[in-house]
Amino acid sequence: MTLWTLLIAAEAAEATAEGGGLFDLDATLPLMAIQFVILVAILNVTFFKPLTAAIEGRADYIRKNRQEAEERLAKAKQLAHQYEQELADTRRQAQTVILTAEAEAQKLMASKLAEAQQEAQQQREQAQREIEAQKQAALQTLESQVDVLSQQILDKLLGSSAAR
Amino acid sequence: MDIPYALTQLTGLPLASLEVGKHFYWQVGNLKLHGEVFLTSWFVIAVLLVLTVAATRNVQRVPTGLQNLMEYVLEFVRGIARDQIGEKEYRPWVPFVGTLFLFIFVSNWSGALVPWKLIHLPAGELGAPTANINTTVAFALLTSLAYFYAGFKKRGLGYFAHYVEPIPIMLPFKVIEDFTKPLSLSFRLFGNILADELVVGVFVLLVPLFVPLPMMFLGLFTSAIQALIFATLASVYIGEALEGEHHEGEEH
Repeated sequence: MTLWTLLIAAEAAEATAEGGGLFDLDATLPLMAIQFVILVAILNVTFFKPLTAAIEGRADYIRKNRQEAEERLAKAKQLAHQYEQELADTRRQAQTVILTAEAEAQKLMASKLAEAQQEAQQQREQAQREIEAQKQAALQTLESQVDVLSQQILDKLLGSSAAR
Repeated sequence: MDIPYALTQLTGLPLASLEVGKHFYWQVGNLKLHGEVFLTSWFVIAVLLVLTVAATRNVQRVPTGLQNLMEYVLEFVRGIARDQIGEKEYRPWVPFVGTLFLFIFVSNWSGALVPWKLIHLPAGELGAPTANINTTVAFALLTSLAYFYAGFKKRGLGYFAHYVEPIPIMLPFKVIEDFTKPLSLSFRLFGNILADELVVGVFVLLVPLFVPLPMMFLGLFTSAIQALIFATLASVYIGEALEGEHHEGEEH
């Protein structure tokens, strides 16, 4: 221990004599400080400012693009919603048109059917009337013939008896 | 016991060739400088400048390669500043905190990864600039200046009010705190990095190749942590100066 103390003391003495040592502060200190301040200024221009600007510019660019994309997305969603609504409206209208057309077709069909039935009825009635008339005429003819024939029969029967 | 003999034996050990505390002096006018610190710090500055200029020469919206890496680094140091100083006020402090982190990190790793010891200087030896007390004290004093500046700029002379809050008896402790902050900042970094270099150096001299390697990996880890700690603490101090007393912080 004593040996080391002596050794260190001897080295310190030697160092002081030579003007050196671990804690030898001299003009190096202020010049290092000045050199460092100049380095700060230079690095500020060559490193900190341009790269900070680049990083912040990129962040701005990303933020702006993202905002635009969000706006576009919102717009697209709104458009899609609008289109869906329009589509729904159109479908509803189409349904209405179809229903109306069906109803009209039904009505038309019903009226045509009624007309046709009426016409058929009329024709049937006319045919019936004609049949009736012809039947009457035939009956009349038959009656007159029956009359003639019965007269003839009567004449034959009565005439022969009268002749005897 | 023959002490002088023992001393000569000890100084004869290869330990002495680590040359701790010896410097490669430059005499500029009547200023004395540690040349090895400047040489390695210029290397670190050159690495940083080459990396940053190459990364930002052609900035793309979609980052690739080096730009990607440096953006990650920037996000990391911004994260340190933002977490400690707060979302509202961290932006102006990012260059200071970020440069502190980058410089210390690259310094520490250059000390651990670049075989500086192979380059022989007339005196002293090359190593991480952060293993020299001048560098770490310079950074610590700059940090102190930074948080004083932050406090004054935000609250003017009202910044001094925190010395007597919550009770005036705190005044001496708060004054001492202003001295201990840079002291602890500088000594923590200096001590850790120097200790790393010493441990690895001693192991390399005593048991080369296999024993020092795990220590070198550990050194990479601790030196990265030291850079993070220095930058984080600098941000914490600046954040404290900006935020003021704790009860103000609690209102948020």
